[in-house]
Amino acid sequence: MNEYSAVNEIKEQTDGSETMEKSRPVIEIRNVSFRYKGSSEGLLSDVSLSFQEGETVLLCGASGCGKTTILRLINGLIPHYYSGEMTGDVIVDGRNIRETELHDLAGTVGTVFQNPRSQFFSVDTDGEIVFGPENIGLSPKEILRRKDLVVSEMRIGTLLDRSLFELSGGEKQKIACASVSALLPKIILLDEPSSNLDWNAISDLRESIRRWKEQGKTILISEHRLWYVKDLIDRVLYLSDGDVKQEWNGEAFRNLSEEKVAELKLRPITLEEKYIRAFTDEKGAITASKKSEARNCRFDTDKAENGPSGKKVILSEFCFSYDRKRSGGHLRKCLKNGTIGECDGLQLCIPNLVLPEGKVIGVIGRNGTGKSTFLRCVCGLEKRCPGVITVDGKAYKGKERLKLTYMVMQDVNHQLFTDSVKAEVLLSMEKEDEKRCDEILSNLGLLPYKDKHPMALSGGQKQRVAIASAIAAGAKILLFDEPTSGLDYAHMKQVGQMLQNLARTGSTVLVSTHDPELLALCCDEVIHIESGRVL
Amino acid sequence: MRITLDPRTKLFMVLIVSMVVLMPATTPLLWGIRICMTMIPILLLLSEKRYASAIRFLIFYGVALILTFFFLSKESQGILSAILIGYCGIVVQFMPGIITAWYCVRTTKIGEFMSAMQKMHIPDGIAISLAVVMRFFPTIKEEYGSIRDAMKMRGIMFGGGNALRMVEFRMIPLLFSCVNIGDELSAAAITRGLGGKVRRTSVVELKLHAQDVILMMLFTAALLVFVFFKYFR
Repeated sequence: MNEYSAVNEIKEQTDGSETMEKSRPVIEIRNVSFRYKGSSEGLLSDVSLSFQEGETVLLCGASGCGKTTILRLINGLIPHYYSGEMTGDVIVDGRNIRETELHDLAGTVGTVFQNPRSQFFSVDTDGEIVFGPENIGLSPKEILRRKDLVVSEMRIGTLLDRSLFELSGGEKQKIACASVSALLPKIILLDEPSSNLDWNAISDLRESIRRWKEQGKTILISEHRLWYVKDLIDRVLYLSDGDVKQEWNGEAFRNLSEEKVAELKLRPITLEEKYIRAFTDEKGAITASKKSEARNCRFDTDKAENGPSGKKVILSEFCFSYDRKRSGGHLRKCLKNGTIGECDGLQLCIPNLVLPEGKVIGVIGRNGTGKSTFLRCVCGLEKRCPGVITVDGKAYKGKERLKLTYMVMQDVNHQLFTDSVKAEVLLSMEKEDEKRCDEILSNLGLLPYKDKHPMALSGGQKQRVAIASAIAAGAKILLFDEPTSGLDYAHMKQVGQMLQNLARTGSTVLVSTHDPELLALCCDEVIHIESGRVL
Repeated sequence: MRITLDPRTKLFMVLIVSMVVLMPATTPLLWGIRICMTMIPILLLLSEKRYASAIRFLIFYGVALILTFFFLSKESQGILSAILIGYCGIVVQFMPGIITAWYCVRTTKIGEFMSAMQKMHIPDGIAISLAVVMRFFPTIKEEYGSIRDAMKMRGIMFGGGNALRMVEFRMIPLLFSCVNIGDELSAAAITRGLGGKVRRTSVVELKLHAQDVILMMLFTAALLVFVFFKYFR
């Protein structure tokens, strides 16, 4: 264990008594340095690590600190798929990665990736689960046996024989876990697997990890959200600037003080759970006040009109169904009576909702419960939704909603069209006004990037470019769809700050999110949507 | 009633229809054969409960046919009829191929397709590339939908009246996201053993059934009759 000593020296809190039996490590990284071609991010400098069989290890640290790079070293994507300068050796299960073909590792190392959308080869769920075993040439009988085993273990029978494109993010991630399981790998790597998941889907994910742990697999998790894995892990590695800076065993990590965690710029280890309890069981003190405020802001126009404080944004008749036939009759009935009972079969039914102007309003609820539908209707993308938005006594309906609002999508790449940041902002203006463009850009801290190509910017900067163009277009209501998924703590804080700044300058901000920390950080009010209804 | 066909039959149908599509029909008999060949995939789509697309194709093709036969003739004049003739000509000529290909892509699972390719002894490299193409159709559709939404919000659906920018605004984000997805997709597929030296196996067991044989014979016969009456009479 010589290569371990370097790490031991910088270890802060390890009580040593709990370290594993020293058998031969299943993964060894020996003095590896790596740099991606043409990039300064994610580089590693002289890293040495080893992992024992059956260990569950968490890798944490800010974005770009090298977490993903380490996982790629182990599954062989580095150096075989992503090229760069690499020195040192990686030994996995007795094989040197450098001399092992990628496909030969398939039965040994399995990887669950961050984005459920882009890790599928098949179009149907069954095909996806058997894809791996088919590749390594198992007999059809054995493949089917494994498929049945995995399906019954993970209880995903209801997901079989479906199109992957119809599944929710959580269901997709379950299939991803199942298809990795079907290869029966000794080592499982998870690269920010919870980024796109809601709280329920995350607890399913935790179940999968727990099962793997029980089966004695070696598990490495790279993650920003720490609360859901904290009880599963045996060891935690904290990375920064391409090296392991600190290391704890599971017990020590769980006992870290909140200040210490904040100092390391990690997301809170326990805070999230408090919130989840608050939102699922309606208990918990922290959010109780927010919840009651949220309760106040629905269905009561009278109060809003009499209310002493500030202006209001009124949303009325936001009802919608994806089923064309249904939406016609039901919508009319629903609107006429204004009772919820008539609205069965509508994906969205919000007869009246009063929101404070110039505030940040969080929209929470499970995956697939109507949050996105709600946002799409508010910003006028669903033409058949008859909703009316009233701001300052002026009513906006139909296409006018498109001008009044702007949604920053989860994948912001879809909404950047031009070849420079400046052009992007000017495109949104009715009359090109360079002075105003500069003003908007400097407010968002984008002035230095004025002439850069939007696609060359980082994720957070892209997000701000999209916001700049929304402001240039004169949007008063800004909608954000999961703006912080996959962000580390520092970036999430930045987003929270920015949302509050936007609200301070008079925009009304609606944020749909799964991140309780973001709610705590910046939301003035919270709306809880469940099956298309405001609770 | 659901009629399931072997992927090989579907591919064979695409092949035959594409051949017929490239030979202009001149006599009523030839037109008849063409129309029958178009109706078969439409009926098959119906049997797979894909009503929306079946009906859309039927209307599209039907209208173009009716226009060509009853309202447009060689003597038609004016810009409108010129455009219509061009438009209907293309639809009537190539729609059968598009419908058959659509049926083939939408009703074949990737696993079935790979298995069929293997049975036909097509090299894995070609089979995998084709499978990825099939996998990408729904992805492109999804991505394109989001991009259209983004354009609507920006009010640039028509590129500010500039046709070139209209295309540019659609294509650039689409290309970027497809390249990204493609990159992540292949990384994920390789880590699960795609492209290994081991011969791939398949859990899908393909067998040609009565309906496959009948359809293949029907389509072969149609092709032979078509060629015979077009070139040898």
